[in-house]
Amino acid sequence: MRSHAELARQADLLNRSFVGVLTALKWLFGMSALAVAVPVVAYAQNVKIGVINSVTGPEAPIGENLTNGIKLAEEDLSKSGIKLELIWEDDTGKPQIAMSAMEKLATRDGVAGVVGPYTSASANAVAKLAQRYQVPLLVPAAAKEEITRQGYQWVFRLNAPANVYAQVLFDAVTELGKPKTIAFVYENTDFGTSTADAGKKYAEKKGIKIVADEPYSKGSPDYRSTLTKIKALNPELVFMVSYVVDAILLMRQAREIGLKPQAFLGGGAGFTTTQFASDKAISNLVFTSTQWSDDVSWPGAAEFAKRYNAKFGKEPTYHAACAYASMMIMADTAAKQHGDRAKIRGALASGSWKGIMGDVKFENYDGYTNQNKHPMLVLQIQNGNYVSVYPAQFAVKKAIFPFSGW
Amino acid sequence: MRVLLQSAASGILIGGVYALVGIGLTIIFGVMRVINFAHGELLMIGMYLTWLIFSSLGIDPFVSIVITIPLMFVFGAIVQRTLIHRVLNALPQNQILLTIGLGLVLSNLVMLIFTSDYKIITTRYSSSTIHLAGLPLSTPLAISFLVTSVITALLYLFLLKTDTGQAIRATAQDRDAAQLMGINVSWMSVLAFGIGTALAGTAGALVSPTYYIFPQVGSAFTLKAFVIVVLGGMGSVLGATLGGVIIGVTESLAAVYISSGMKEVFVYVLFLLVLLFKPSGLLGRSRM
Repeated sequence: MRSHAELARQADLLNRSFVGVLTALKWLFGMSALAVAVPVVAYAQNVKIGVINSVTGPEAPIGENLTNGIKLAEEDLSKSGIKLELIWEDDTGKPQIAMSAMEKLATRDGVAGVVGPYTSASANAVAKLAQRYQVPLLVPAAAKEEITRQGYQWVFRLNAPANVYAQVLFDAVTELGKPKTIAFVYENTDFGTSTADAGKKYAEKKGIKIVADEPYSKGSPDYRSTLTKIKALNPELVFMVSYVVDAILLMRQAREIGLKPQAFLGGGAGFTTTQFASDKAISNLVFTSTQWSDDVSWPGAAEFAKRYNAKFGKEPTYHAACAYASMMIMADTAAKQHGDRAKIRGALASGSWKGIMGDVKFENYDGYTNQNKHPMLVLQIQNGNYVSVYPAQFAVKKAIFPFSGW
Repeated sequence: MRVLLQSAASGILIGGVYALVGIGLTIIFGVMRVINFAHGELLMIGMYLTWLIFSSLGIDPFVSIVITIPLMFVFGAIVQRTLIHRVLNALPQNQILLTIGLGLVLSNLVMLIFTSDYKIITTRYSSSTIHLAGLPLSTPLAISFLVTSVITALLYLFLLKTDTGQAIRATAQDRDAAQLMGINVSWMSVLAFGIGTALAGTAGALVSPTYYIFPQVGSAFTLKAFVIVVLGGMGSVLGATLGGVIIGVTESLAAVYISSGMKEVFVYVLFLLVLLFKPSGLLGRSRM
């Protein structure tokens, strides 16, 4: 719960009992569906995978991308002869619901493996259960570093952790210029604080002075006061971490009050949506880091984007690509190991894959366990389009620096 | 000094909109003694109406409130007649369940129709500013504050000067006595819920050019509305107005001088202090 906790408790209790009733209903329905499904599903090569995702609730808009990515993977897997049975669970963005979903998948449904959850808070909670119930868990897009830093043998992560979001951005801007001061503005969620903390450490290492450190609680309609304070400090870089449309609000209000650093850096998430880019008045020349982009040279990336666009009528986000690749890896491995959880874990830990997310290999390094060393990309929005500008081997165009003003 | 003035100014502007949300809630509570947990969702409906009108007809969000207000009023009146009316004499927890349920149905219905994608209204003046005594103020916020002031003033006139307004206040003061005096209290309830809904919808319309729209946006505003109403005194329109502005300014100043992640802590500390020293709220005694 966010900082409203004290007063929200009563409303939330009611809310929660509602969710409880809903979950109970869902189980009843699920059970009757299973009873019908059992005699039909008698094939030998059936693979049962659980998916935990935010289908409803405040994270639903991003959760939808993961759902779509997994649906495309489902298509491809059935083409390659794998009979995939997906069990979808909605965590509504709340860790406690994600945990009960995981318990259900592990004990009642007996899945071979689980892909998800989307948010860092949920993924971190579910990771503990994956370890306890010994179910292979592949986290597609949650960024909090801690998830794969606890030595959990059963937890794998495809995407790069939060610290890389900031590192790759600072690497890019310090190559472009010599910025000396920076302001941090970030939402006070797991994702926001862990990305910003990693950023602060890395900025200090690069010799950039932190002049402002401003966490905010997301979804408030007014960030002007925070931005006014930052403007008074006149930083050369402004680093922001936000989900979805808070990014648009922050940039609009930054423009309103005339904040003008050498570069705006956006730590993924809300800064990598097409909705953000298309608002050209505020998005132009903003840098952001991302796990994936459709112009990258990884095999199948462009084709994935095309198919996704044709099927769902919108551009895929990196979440969609991460979820797609995760499901492909999990289902393929599970099918090859005939659904044996221990063997699947072993195969995930030792295997390597190549696909729309580039090379994937789960390794142990720097305190991480089963973490894919995913190279992140720096994009710059130029005239409403995301263009890869860093690292050099994936760059499509040159970066424009410094920021030319509103 | 500049930063102080700037943040106080934007706090007052945003507080105006909060006040509008609070006034709607307090009128409904005052007249019916029903706590409307679906208030934020009504605001959300107002946002979607505004967005729909903006994206399909191209009518400016601030102009389209002349369409939104009557639509929301009728919607609220229908909700009161068909749902709220039935539980007026029921146990409070039943009333709460009904309004929470209504909120859930509304937000999920909207999600089914419009998906959970965030909508954002981009107008010419979305990120422009006007200067008032050297202070840059957000144009859309300034306009919405003006509209809020006009609507609040009209509402006061209506409640204080017209017969119907006085009848609403009488019903709020003592339902039984009002009925004995020949006031049609069930009609007053319809009217009050309609007005409350229209105000919530208007607030939704007014914030939509500066905020974003999604089916779950309501809950944040429901909570804020409660704080405003309790702070100002349950059922007091003047109290809700004051409460809204106080919350807006407190948030804004706390964000600048403490930390924006902590601003809500200050809002609630202030709230608790008021409740400790004046449990009925700032203007708790004079109902409306």
